[in-house]
Amino acid sequence: MKSNNAEDALFLKQVAKGQSAGIEALYNRYSRLVFSIALTIIGDRSVAEEATLDVFVQVWRRANTYDPARGNVRMWLAAVARHHAIDILRWQSSRLDSKSLYLDDLQWLGDPSQPVVEEETELALQRKRVQDAVAQLPADQRQVLFLAYFKGHSHQQISDTLKQPLGTVKTRIRLAMQKLRKLLMDELDDIESVDTSEKNRTT
Amino acid sequence: MMDDTHVLDSLPAYALGSLDEEEKRLVEEHVLGCHICRQELDEFQVVADNLLLAVPEALPPAALKGRLTERIQRLNRTPTKAPPGWRFPWPLPVGAIAAIVLIVILGISNLIFWQRLNTMEVITGPLGMRAVALQNTEAASKASGFVIISANGDDGVLVVDELPQLDESHEYQVWLMREGVSTSAALFSVDEGGYRGMRLTSPESLLLYSEVGVTIEPAGGSTSPTGEQVLRGSLFNP
Repeated sequence: MKSNNAEDALFLKQVAKGQSAGIEALYNRYSRLVFSIALTIIGDRSVAEEATLDVFVQVWRRANTYDPARGNVRMWLAAVARHHAIDILRWQSSRLDSKSLYLDDLQWLGDPSQPVVEEETELALQRKRVQDAVAQLPADQRQVLFLAYFKGHSHQQISDTLKQPLGTVKTRIRLAMQKLRKLLMDELDDIESVDTSEKNRTT
Repeated sequence: MMDDTHVLDSLPAYALGSLDEEEKRLVEEHVLGCHICRQELDEFQVVADNLLLAVPEALPPAALKGRLTERIQRLNRTPTKAPPGWRFPWPLPVGAIAAIVLIVILGISNLIFWQRLNTMEVITGPLGMRAVALQNTEAASKASGFVIISANGDDGVLVVDELPQLDESHEYQVWLMREGVSTSAALFSVDEGGYRGMRLTSPESLLLYSEVGVTIEPAGGSTSPTGEQVLRGSLFNP
């Protein structure tokens, strides 16, 4: 399956040269992903919209800081979105509706049975793979993953939030990640190897 | 539990970012010299990063693209470098900073600039300096403030007004946030009118941070934000 990373890298090069066509192309391709991440973390649409703008403006300003060795463009954007959204969440946590911090397993997981209309088939398929894998985890493991990765909580904070022993939280995180790695790594290896081959052709 | 020779049990949590500072430091020190744990960590990091693809899909409003275009066009119109041979006169006595800032802003002096600053946008002023208006919280609903950052991010000033005076056991502390880590940039108290201007200090360029905030802390400051937040602003905008 052809990776889009070569195109994304070209778009980034355009952005680094100050060509707006590059940022428009990346926005068209990934605004939904970035917004989805921001909304999942922040839980407020208007703030998530601002966060989404912030991310793409940051890409515009700092496209030359992208390092291909650290992952493909899509995951770089997603990581920037996550970091920024967690930063905003930490500052605004006292003002947000507490429901935005409550866990509903299916609410954050996304329903893997629903067809996803995606412009990029590869992204849609990868999303489905990850959702299917996460769906196989027990609910308590999905909970701790969500708090750790999407709310930026430490072990202790998760323990306090869920009123579970610290050791239990650590064990659930470890078991969840080990299972996900087992489920995903073969497929992710295929994707990574495609991306690597694309990277080698473009560098 | 951490193995004596490896840190394998901690790697999943490290990849998720949920270790405390000490645990994180131990992992980082260990993986520098352990290829086994390094490889394991790389795999767990890939897994963690792919979790971002599992979020429920949400569509941003169609108008958002137009807003992005506007912001980028503003960026393209504004200078970002100071003219050669000019140097902003740092450091300044604290008492002079607010006056200088006001002079700079008034020197630009147009209504649109003030309106935009009041609506929490980041404005690029003369010589590439950026001004960020701060938003208050319920804890200080009358307070206002702004941050001005030099073009290269090496220098910054915070000016606040109408912040409540604190008792002797508390002070205000300024935080710069980046990738989930808060860095203290200043500790201050205000005068009777709730006013203060101060220089911000940072180990790195101010342009690298995404958020700025002010919280109420015990006198002498804290190592991380513990008290109520009174002002905040995003530094991510152009």
